[in-house]
Parts: sequence; structure tokens; C-alpha cells
Amino acid sequence: MRISRRSFVATGLAAAALVPRRAFAQMSDNEKALYEAAKREGELTWYSSHYTSETSERIGRAFTAKYSGVKVNVVRTTAQVAFQRLSQDIQSGVANCDILGTTDIAHCVSLKQRGLLLSYEPKDAEFIAPVFRNVDKDGQFHTTSSTFVSLLYNTAKVKPGDAPKSWKALLDPKWSNQISVGHPGFSGFVGNWVVQMKKLYGWSYFETLAKLNPQIGRSIIDTVTTLSSGERLVAAGPGALAYLQAARGNPVGVIVPEEGAVLMTSPSAIMKNSRRPNASKLFIEFLYGKEAAEIAKEEFGSPMRMDVEPRPGVLRLTDMKLIQPSVDEIIKGIPEVTEQWRDTFGI
Amino acid sequence: MDSTVAIPSSSATGSRDLRPKRSFDSMVILWIMLALLLMFLVINPLCRLIIDSFRQVGGTDFTLANYVAAFSRARHIQAVINTLWMASFASLIAVAMAVPLAWAVSRTDMPGRDWAHASVIAAFIIPTFLGAIGWMLLAGPNAGWLNRIFVAVFGTATGPLNIFSFSGLCFVIGIYAFPLIYVFTRSALDLISTEMEEAAAVHGAGTLRTMLKVTLPLALPAILGGFILVFLEATALYGTPALIAIPARFNVATTQLATFFEHPLRVEVAAAFSMPMIGVTILLLWVQRLMLSNRSYVSVSGKGGDRRLVRLGPWKWLLAAYALLISLVTVLLPLLVLLHCAFAKAWGQGASISNLTLENFHHIFFEQLTVRQSMWNTFSYAAVTATACCTLGFGIAYIVQRRLLPLTPVLSFLTLSPVIIPGIVLAICFYSAYAGAPFYLYGSSAIIMVAFVTRFLPIAFVTVGSGIRSINPELEEAVRILGGNRLMVLRRVVAPLLKKTILGAWILTFVLATRELSTAVFLSGPETRVISVLTLDLSEQGRYEILAAMGVVLLVVTTVVVLAGMRVLGRDFMLRQP
Amino acid sequence: MRKLNLKGLTKRYGALAVVDHIDLSLHEGEFVSLLGPSGCGKTTTLRMIAGFIDPSEGTIEMNDHLMSSPAASVPPERRNMAMIFQSYAIWPNMTVFENVAFGLRARRLPNQEVHRRTTEMLSIVKLDQLSARYPNELSGGQQQRVALARAIVIKPEVLLLDEPLSNLDANLREEMRGEIRRLHDEFNMTTVYVTHDQSEAMAISDRIAVMNQGRIDQLDAPVDIYRKPKTRFVAGFIGRTNFIEGRLNGDVVNFSGFNIARSNLGTTSIPDGVSTFSVRPQSMEVLANRPTEANQLDIPGKITTRTFLGETWDYTFDSGSGLCLRVVSSPAITLEMNQPVWLRIDPAQIVRVEDSPAAA
Repeated sequence: MRISRRSFVATGLAAAALVPRRAFAQMSDNEKALYEAAKREGELTWYSSHYTSETSERIGRAFTAKYSGVKVNVVRTTAQVAFQRLSQDIQSGVANCDILGTTDIAHCVSLKQRGLLLSYEPKDAEFIAPVFRNVDKDGQFHTTSSTFVSLLYNTAKVKPGDAPKSWKALLDPKWSNQISVGHPGFSGFVGNWVVQMKKLYGWSYFETLAKLNPQIGRSIIDTVTTLSSGERLVAAGPGALAYLQAARGNPVGVIVPEEGAVLMTSPSAIMKNSRRPNASKLFIEFLYGKEAAEIAKEEFGSPMRMDVEPRPGVLRLTDMKLIQPSVDEIIKGIPEVTEQWRDTFGI
Repeated sequence: MDSTVAIPSSSATGSRDLRPKRSFDSMVILWIMLALLLMFLVINPLCRLIIDSFRQVGGTDFTLANYVAAFSRARHIQAVINTLWMASFASLIAVAMAVPLAWAVSRTDMPGRDWAHASVIAAFIIPTFLGAIGWMLLAGPNAGWLNRIFVAVFGTATGPLNIFSFSGLCFVIGIYAFPLIYVFTRSALDLISTEMEEAAAVHGAGTLRTMLKVTLPLALPAILGGFILVFLEATALYGTPALIAIPARFNVATTQLATFFEHPLRVEVAAAFSMPMIGVTILLLWVQRLMLSNRSYVSVSGKGGDRRLVRLGPWKWLLAAYALLISLVTVLLPLLVLLHCAFAKAWGQGASISNLTLENFHHIFFEQLTVRQSMWNTFSYAAVTATACCTLGFGIAYIVQRRLLPLTPVLSFLTLSPVIIPGIVLAICFYSAYAGAPFYLYGSSAIIMVAFVTRFLPIAFVTVGSGIRSINPELEEAVRILGGNRLMVLRRVVAPLLKKTILGAWILTFVLATRELSTAVFLSGPETRVISVLTLDLSEQGRYEILAAMGVVLLVVTTVVVLAGMRVLGRDFMLRQP
Repeated sequence: MRKLNLKGLTKRYGALAVVDHIDLSLHEGEFVSLLGPSGCGKTTTLRMIAGFIDPSEGTIEMNDHLMSSPAASVPPERRNMAMIFQSYAIWPNMTVFENVAFGLRARRLPNQEVHRRTTEMLSIVKLDQLSARYPNELSGGQQQRVALARAIVIKPEVLLLDEPLSNLDANLREEMRGEIRRLHDEFNMTTVYVTHDQSEAMAISDRIAVMNQGRIDQLDAPVDIYRKPKTRFVAGFIGRTNFIEGRLNGDVVNFSGFNIARSNLGTTSIPDGVSTFSVRPQSMEVLANRPTEANQLDIPGKITTRTFLGETWDYTFDSGSGLCLRVVSSPAITLEMNQPVWLRIDPAQIVRVEDSPAAA
């Protein structure tokens, strides 16, 4: 497949040129105003950690396709790394980041407490399922994506009957040297999951897990690729991504544990010192919009908009058995469990 | 033709300014400029690091709390201990590989010596973190290719290799560090005259005995010197330990340092934690200098002398097999698996036609814009760095070699001193000094390039310096006595004669800068990431196919540059010991 | 006007005076050699004249302009001198033509003139066939010619040569020595020539400055240097000699075994007391048969060593009463060991020598 750069750019431009003219006519007044201002700003920088880099770039491209002239600079890292970079930015007084999308709600809480966030209510919030709304009463951060962490297994090497049915069953000795997990010091998802497991079973859960010698990656995404390659057989990983990989032919399967899948609601926030506030607001609107929901659907996720159906075979989150630690438990818990993790697992 | 011209025509001297000049005037300004520059590059960052290690986190008071925080947890101390063990074993592996190979290539009639030498160069071109990724694909305990082949052939449950282990980490670091020891050993061995070995033979020693008792001991100081350098490099590596040690649940000093950069940011503790690394580096470099300065070992035999090859008989095939094994392990296998992965849809599915695609390359060039940006960043930063290093290195080396300014040993020392700072610590130094007030260089490309220049200036300085040393000063004096000023000396004589040396230094610096990871990892902002940092970031997501594609691009560019260099400068331009 | 004038020229490195208060004047067109063993300061002096080194004390003047002083100096590129280096210093990245034309181009002469003068000079040194070659294609002698051509073509005020012949083999050395002198004569250039080879210095120079430990022991024409050495060092360094002690007693100097009237000796001013005298081996004759004419300088003795060197016989003569002298004889005169012989000395060739001047 040889696409010359020129032809690619030309096609892209042509495509981009087509859409806005039609879409522009359909934009609400509020949208138009934001768009005009955003065009003058020209771009925005998005620290994204709740999507893979592929998906993040996809969303960025879709945004630019709809709102031509506004580029999205995607910086995709795990949540803790994103927050670390943001902290360096803040300490240096440099406004690099316009939008922070993180899997650790504690980040947003901390930023809000320090008065570093911009309030903004996206207009399409009315289309979002109520359970995901109003995560912050002052509208300084919003849940923009939600997914779940559940048990995953390699369908080529493990029969569905043998796969673990619950979080507790994961600790069966037969899974020794066969488990893959992420690291709470890097990944917000893993941080949430660890806090939840500790809430259910206490820290002894992880002491037992350590004895089974799991492979510890940095990101939770790593668990899916580890299973796909056959390097490990079972994991605690992101369900939606597993569905996506399975559709591509990779041998990954999803099991919703008996205790419940761990719900991950990931907030996004606009930085108060953003140099591109209008583009940022437009982007938040976009994240609540139909195009973003369609992308979520295509990636085997569960869209938060009530007027977009997930793919056949994919459960709506609201239809699943879910468990989730409270915001306060997350804020206090993640730093705590990270230290405990380092002591237990040595890394 | 004038036959008795005694008094020069007025056109020759009339316009000449014959007033005596004070020699120091313009030189003083030059000295001050250079001193300021070196202070900016070297002294200031180091001082800031030391000051920060005593500064309260987020405040300004003097405190020892950082040292307490850095060294009171058993986990942290364990990290340092792990580092020392890891560096020792990795260096031993490197020595075990390099020394026999160097001896075989330098002094015996082993077949395929050229091939062996080429594979050393190839191993040098492959960055350690890329080799680590290759070996992760080869020796992952369950999915690694070698393990799967083993299981298929021998029918066992699992394969014998596990790259995610202490020994795996030492192995990967060792195999990519061995070119350095090879260079040192080979240089020393090349100088030893055959007469030494013939004398041993006359007294009844066989080949093995001669090698062990005569040849190698003469090269021992050089080998030990190389060992120390490799040891220090291993302690300072960040990328490979991040890739392998974390899954292996194994903490080393550099990964521990990185945790201090997590939230909450504790630069001050990181600074305190870095001090022992600097201390160890200074100590070992001093020891190395002592060993290598005792040149009586090798100088006894003089300038090489006649060299005849040792005839190995049937043993040469064993040695050739060993050389082949080395090139398999360092170059062929990882390259093969990386290439496969770069062209695969899903590397775990194995090698089949249905698994081939160009998708990954399309993705990195056209879809994932961060990758394209990082490629541009990498090569442009490297080019700027190489150019700055060569220019600055040439200027300082010329001044030092020709003693144009007073206190040239001080200049020389300052230029070389970044060597004592491990790359990752250098990044922290620069972060302390320039990321925030009053320079605010955080996240800019400037701070990365400045850090790179500081890191690689010593190499350019030493390389160009030895080139200048080889120019007879009389060639320059001849220009001056015939009427040319210093600028003309540089322009008409020194620069043309040094063309090749400077080009060699440029290419070497360029290659090293394209794959520099530990210095870049804390200084990269969102728009200034380089390929090495991006590889590390992306490796979190396990998309090895994309990584492999990026790695292949990096290798292709590097190889092209190196081959071009070899064309112009001869086979060995990068492997000559300065 | 003195062409080149060194006054009290001194160079110190730390406490050591490598060049110690040198006074030297050259007039236009003169050829002076600085001769001495290694470490005597001759090269340092030359480099100070060139301007590569600044003096610690003293001055260098050319055409009565101040060139060098401890406070300030004219840089080499402005002195309009030229220098031939020991290594020739031909630039390997330029052709013969470019090498020779370099100085002319540095003076920004018009292209045509540069071309004309360079071509002329190349034919003078007989290198016109090789003008497009590079130095690595030339022999040692040819490289030397390039260095000479390059230096002379700019018509320098002073030509400086730093041991230019030491890298050549013996035959070539003699030939090039002749070349250098010939070119000097043709262009009448003021020349300072540094060498450690005394036969070279004597063959080529108008005057020789014999240097020892930073000082000039003697500055004279070659003949006078040889025949009338002023110091022990000069006498011993130039050619071979014998040293004998003599005591002045009124008008007669008493030596060991013979006396000579003061007026007959080579040196006229002789202080009271003991002095050292130099007697060259060639200034004496060995006679196998007792001389018939009475001559108080026929001293009896015997041969104690003999060596045949082809061109000469080298004998050691021992008078038996404390006089032991080396004598050089024609190869035709063969004498045996312990043969009784008579030694005839020419008193006019006995010269008084002093110690080298003390540190100033």
C-alpha cells in the first residue's frame, strides 16, 4: 500500500474541506462561536491516558476533520506519567497542556483544589447517561470516557471452562507464572483496580498474587498484548480493548467476574492557564458528541451517550455488574497502594 | 627577473603594520567567552544539582532530608546494590565476548575475520534499547521465538530462556556493550609485536599458553580500562532496565531515580540519590586513567613491529563458530525478529505470508503524527548536536593543543568533565538548572540539544584533539612566517587536513545522539520527544509492531550514515580508540 | 643600517636561561650560522627572530625597526621573513605550485604576477616539471627545493633555516648545501642558518656564531673559528684538538717538555700564570728519523696508538714526560707501535683558549 505523502495530504485536505461546509451549517450558534475562536487559536495539546495512542490519534483526527483548522497534539502516556509531566509544566510555569484526560480522578481533584482548572459545562451533557454525569458539581472536570476492567484470558490456550470466574479465582495456584497485570505507579486504571481489590479482600490479595509471579507491565494495555502473544494466559485488563483485539483475530476473551467488573470512569479537564481555551472547550464538547461516541462504539467500547448503541455482542456498561471505589477512596488509596505494591512486588 | 633584490619592494612591506602587538589582548576575550560557555554547559548544572540535593523539597531551606529520603528505604539501597551487581555481570559478559574475538581478529588466521569485524560495527550501530526489544521478542518465557522453537523441537513444556530476569538484563546490556571492549583490546593487541609471541614459542609455549601468559597480559590494562568504561555505562542505562527490569520485578538505580520524578515531583531527592553515582564514576575513571597511563606495558614493544598471524590449525573453526555465535546473538537474531515484527500484523502469530503487512510503516509515517514528529526531532537534534560538538570541540581542541591561552589544562578538564556525570543524572542537572527560573527552557528543544552537546562534547573534543596532535605544528608556522594570520592557518591548512577527522567525529556524535535515551527522558516535553523516548513510552502499550517499525527506520538511517562515513573515511573510523 | 640586530636577547623557562644575553648583528646579505650542540639555544634564538617566541629580555630589530621585545612583538606573519623548517613543512593538501605561490597570494599580489614569479622560481630550483604534483609524490630532496622556492620567492628580509639538511642522506646533503649557498648568493639574502654539524656550518657560512648553553662563545669567519678558537668549547666542538697547559714566564711560555717564545705563538695576548692552549692534530708532524736541523720544537717520544682510517693515519704521540698528543698524518707515513719518533709542532698554530663566558 503505497500512498505518496502528497496524495495523502491532498485527500485529507479534500476530505476535511468537504465536511465543515456541510457541518458548519448544522452547528449550533454556540458551536459556531467556539469554532471561530478555536480557528484563531489553531491547535490544542491533549494529555491523554484513557485511550490508546491509536484511538487518541483517531479522535484527534476526527476532531480536526470536523473542525478544520484546529489541530490536536496528542500526548499519550499512562496516567501517572501524564500527571508527572503536567506537574513539571506547572512547576516551570509553562502552559503546554490544554486538556488533561486521566484515569486517576485524584489528579483532577488535586488540580481543582489548587484552582488550576477551568469550569465549563458541555451542552451535550444531556445526552449522557445520568450515572456518568456530575462527577464534579462545579463542572471543572467531566467523565469523558468509561470502561471496565475485568478478567481476560487467552482463548487459544485456555478453555472457557478453565478460565477464572471471579477475582478470587485468579489467585488459583494453577495460574502461577501465567498472570499479567499492570503497575499502579504508572497506570491509573491499575491504581483503581488495586484499590478496589484491596477494598474487597484486603492487601493479602496482593501478597498471594505476588507469590504467583505475575508479569508486571507499566500500562494495563500491555496485558492485552501479553495475552495475544501467548506470553501469559490470564490477566486483569481493559475489557473494551480485549473485544477490539478479538475482533481483529487475536486470541483474547473477556469474563465479567462474579464480584463485578471494576468500572473506570475517566475524567477530562481544561487547564485554567490554557493558551487555547476556546479550542479546549470545543474539544470537550466533541468528546460528548456523537462522533466521539461513534468512535467508542467502533472500538468495542460502551458509548456514554444514550442515543448510540454499542456493537452487537458488547454489553452496555449500565447493564453489567460493576463495582467502583469512591472518589475519596481513590484519592487516598492510589498513593497508598502504590507504596504497598512497591514493597510487596519489589518494583 | 631581479637578481640582486635586497630591499623588498614597498608593496610588500609598506602596507604592513610593523608595530609590535601585545599578545594577550584579543585572547583574553576569547578565554572569557569559552570559560563562560563551559560554565553554562558544565559547572552550573553540576552545582545546581549539588545545591538542590541539600534544598528542601518545594522550598529553599538547607536540609539533609533529601539524603535521608533517598537512602533510608531498604528498597532504594537495594536498587543501588542491584545496579552494582548488574553492571559487574554485564561487563564480565562483555569482556568474555570481546577479548577472544579481538584476539582472534587481531592475531590469528581465523577465517572470516572481516565478517567478525563488520559484525562488531553492526552491534555498535544497534542501540541497546532496540536490542532489548529484539531479545524480548526472542526470549520472552512463553512467547519468545527461541523458546517456542525449543519447545517445538524438544517437546518440553516451556523453553529455557527468560529475558525478564536479572541474568536476562545483564545479558542484553553485556552483548551491546562488548564493542567498546573489543575496540580497546584490539588497539592494544595491534601494537604488540609478534616477536613477543615468537620468543614464547622458542621457549616451548604452545598457542594457548602464549596467549594467556604473554599476549593477554600485555593487553590487560587496556582491557581493564574498557571494563571500567562499560561498567560505568551500564550503571547509567535507563531504557533497557525500564523495559526488562520492571517486568522482572527488579529495581536499579536509574529506574529508582525515575520514580522520584513521578508525582509528587521530588527533584531534590533525585539529586541526593545521584550523588553516589557521580562519586563512583569519578573514582572508577580515576582508576582507569591510572591504569592506562602506565603505558610502559605496551610501549615496550614500540610501534607495532612485524606482525605475523598465529596459525590455529583446526582450532580456527571453533573460533570462527564462536565469532558466528556472537554475530548471531548481537545482530542477526534480534535484527531478524525486529524485521519480522515490523512487517507483521501481530508478531505473536508467527512468520507466515498472511501475517505480512506494510501497515506498521504506513502508520508511523502517516497516521500517528507523534511518531513522525519524533523522527524529525531525533535526526534534527542529532545533526545540530553533532555540528555544535564538532565546532566547539575543534575550537577548544585547537586552543588546547597549540596552547593559545593560559591555563589550557583547566579548559581541557572542563571540557572533559561531563564524562563523570551519568546521562540520566546529567538530565536531572539540566532540569535543575535550566527547566525553571530564570531560563524556563522546560520542554523546549533547546534544553535537550544543550544537554546533548554537553554530553557528547568530550567525544568530539578528544577525537578532533588527536587529529590536531597528528598535524606537525611546523605546517602551521610555515603559513604564519609566509604572511598568513591565524585564520588563514585554520582555513588553508588545519581544516583541510582535518576534514576526515572532523567528519568522523561528526558521524560518531550523530549516531550516538540519535539513540540517546537516558539524557532525553526527563527533558522531553510533548513536542520534543525523540524516537528513543517515544519507543519507551509506546512500549508500555505493548505495540511491538509499531516499535519495531520505528526501530527499523532508526537503524536504516544510522546504517546509511555510517556506511557513507566508511566510504569516505575508511573502514575503521568509528572504532579507532582516540 | 644593520639588517638584523639582536641585543641582549634572553629567553628563560622558569629559572633556566635557554638563551642568555645574545648579541648579534647581521648586515645585508650576510650568511650567519648558529652552530652548537642540541640544547645550546640556537633553535630558540631562531624562533625568536621569526617571532614564534617572545623574548624574556632584550630586543630584536630589523632595519632598525623594533620586532621583538618582552612587552610586545610583531607577529610572524608581518615580519616579511621566511623560514625553512626541519621537516620542510610542505603542505600536503596543496600542489607544489600552490605551496610556492602561497606567500605571494598571502600578500595579495595580482594573479599574473603570482603566476610569473612562481614559475620563474620553480625553474630556478629545477622543479618546473613537477609543479602540479603533490608533496607525497616527491623525494626528500625535491621537497627541500619546494621549501626553498617557497621561501625565496617572496623576497624575504631575512631567510631563516632550521637544520634543513639533517633529514637527507650524505650525498644529497652536500648537493643541497651547495644549492642553498648558490641561491643565497644569487638573491643576496640575509640568512640565519641553524645547525649542529660543524662541517656544514663552515662550508656554507660567512660567519659562524658558536653557541654553548645559551651564549655565543665566538662569532667569526669559519677560517678564524677553526684556526683561532677562543674557548675550550669552540676548540673542542669544531674539529678535533689537543689541549695542553702552558705557563707564561716573562716572554716564554713553558709547556710540558718544550718552551716557546710568546711572540711565536698563535695568540699574542697571554695573561700571567697557567693557560690552556689548543693544538690541532693536523698542525703537527711525526718524523720517523731524527730531524737534522736543530729546532727546539722537535720533541722525541714514541707512538702509543695508531689507527688507519684510509684518508689519514691517526697516531697518539707520547713524549714520556707528560705530553700526550693526537696527531693526524698522511696515509703514506706508516709508523709502528712504540716506534721512537719526533714530533714537530708549528708554534703559530698553538692557540690559547679560555673558558666559555660565565652566565651574565
